[in-house]
Amino acid sequence: MKTIIIMKTQFKFPQKNLAIITLVMVALLAYNPLYAQTEKTISTTQSTKEITVKGSVSDENGPLLGASVSLKGSDVGIIVVNENGAFTFPRALKLGDILVFSFLGYETKEIKIQENTAFLKVMMTSDVVEILGALESNKPYKSKRPKN
Amino acid sequence: MKTIRYILLFIVAFQSNAQISDFKHIDFKKADSIALVCKNEALTNLPKLAYKLTSNLDTDAERFRAIYMWICTNITSDYNLFEKNQRKREKFRNDSLKLQTWNDGFKKDVFRKLLKNKKTICTGYAYILKELSNLANLNCEIIHGYGRTSTTDINKLNSPNHSWNAIKLNGKWYLSDPTWASGLENPASKTLKYEYIKGFFFTNPKLFAINHYPIDQKWTLLDDQAPSFEAFMEAPVIYGKAYRNLTLHSAPKKMHNRINKYEIVTFQYQLQKSVITESIRLEIDDGFDTRSVQPETISIHNQSLTLEHQFNRSGFYDVHLFIGDDLVSTYTFKVKR
Repeated sequence: MKTIIIMKTQFKFPQKNLAIITLVMVALLAYNPLYAQTEKTISTTQSTKEITVKGSVSDENGPLLGASVSLKGSDVGIIVVNENGAFTFPRALKLGDILVFSFLGYETKEIKIQENTAFLKVMMTSDVVEILGALESNKPYKSKRPKN
Repeated sequence: MKTIRYILLFIVAFQSNAQISDFKHIDFKKADSIALVCKNEALTNLPKLAYKLTSNLDTDAERFRAIYMWICTNITSDYNLFEKNQRKREKFRNDSLKLQTWNDGFKKDVFRKLLKNKKTICTGYAYILKELSNLANLNCEIIHGYGRTSTTDINKLNSPNHSWNAIKLNGKWYLSDPTWASGLENPASKTLKYEYIKGFFFTNPKLFAINHYPIDQKWTLLDDQAPSFEAFMEAPVIYGKAYRNLTLHSAPKKMHNRINKYEIVTFQYQLQKSVITESIRLEIDDGFDTRSVQPETISIHNQSLTLEHQFNRSGFYDVHLFIGDDLVSTYTFKVKR
């Protein structure tokens, strides 16, 4: 008896799943070309439009000198040295490019370049870290013994 | 549904022993050589450093390896910083407000020193490993917890004192300790003798748990096999070199042992590679003299090492296990008449 019941339940599931899978496949077939086209249009605008990005980087105490601004996925970047925390990114950027703002001890920030991006005012917040430290040692353990 | 549940259970069960052997098919030489090429890079531009270390590698495991290796070979421990922090944390142990004020100020100090001199203490290592990994799109976490070494007071650990990392690769978490892989303490000269120690990279969680206990128990990665904190506090002292020789430490389970005269004690380990029996010895310290002995029986089968030693005299002994020149572990034995 048991086997029959299991067989039945097993038989039902694939049928339901099959219907769903078919639906999904039809849906994918129908919409996929459309997606591809939209992407194409975006990439053409991306390649034509060049944006020069300026900005400033600071933390709660003012300009954050030494912070780095980099283009994600490349080694293009600069270090903020201007006393007001101002920077001009050395390369013209495209729509959708991501700038990474980073400084040791601060939370990393990522900003995506939009159509209207021209000036980025970036506020960095310091990372919350509890500083701990135990050192590994190869000094042999020695029991404390009562002195006789 | 039931089958799926069983399959899931199996996946979870296998995951609990994640370790370096999962990556046998990967040769980390390329990652290591990239870390070497970047030897003199600074920490001023982390995204650039992360890019240089990882962009020419094909797998996430190799990318993580390059970052880990760069840290282990470029960042050094700052003994003074460590000592200062230890003193203050102990002093403010019961005053959370003062402890926080201390930490806020000290944190700035730590990051300044790390940036300028590439010197730091545990959390600095773990922090930078996480930061560089995250910049390379790797899922890496800092784990805070308790580290037990021969120079910490092994019988009481009041508060967390160590930080290490967990990294997720192919859906699985792995453990690494960049601090302990990077050097050995030398309290006499207050400097660190530099030596990269293999074995803290994707370590077997069962070995790792002998001297690392996370604040959040789930980071032992051992699920229901995780030892209790009490068992951790009673465990033997194992040294950095243990990680170079062992994949598992099985017996004795405790640091302090009480036995009867003529009792035979069994020591059990799983080795990383086969060793010759002549290289294995115990150093037994009775408080006056240390003598080096070969255990009465030594058997090695499939890299599983079992030793037996009989204690024929009453007394109190510190017993150290050596494999070759490597000090592996310590136990104490009180031998009754």
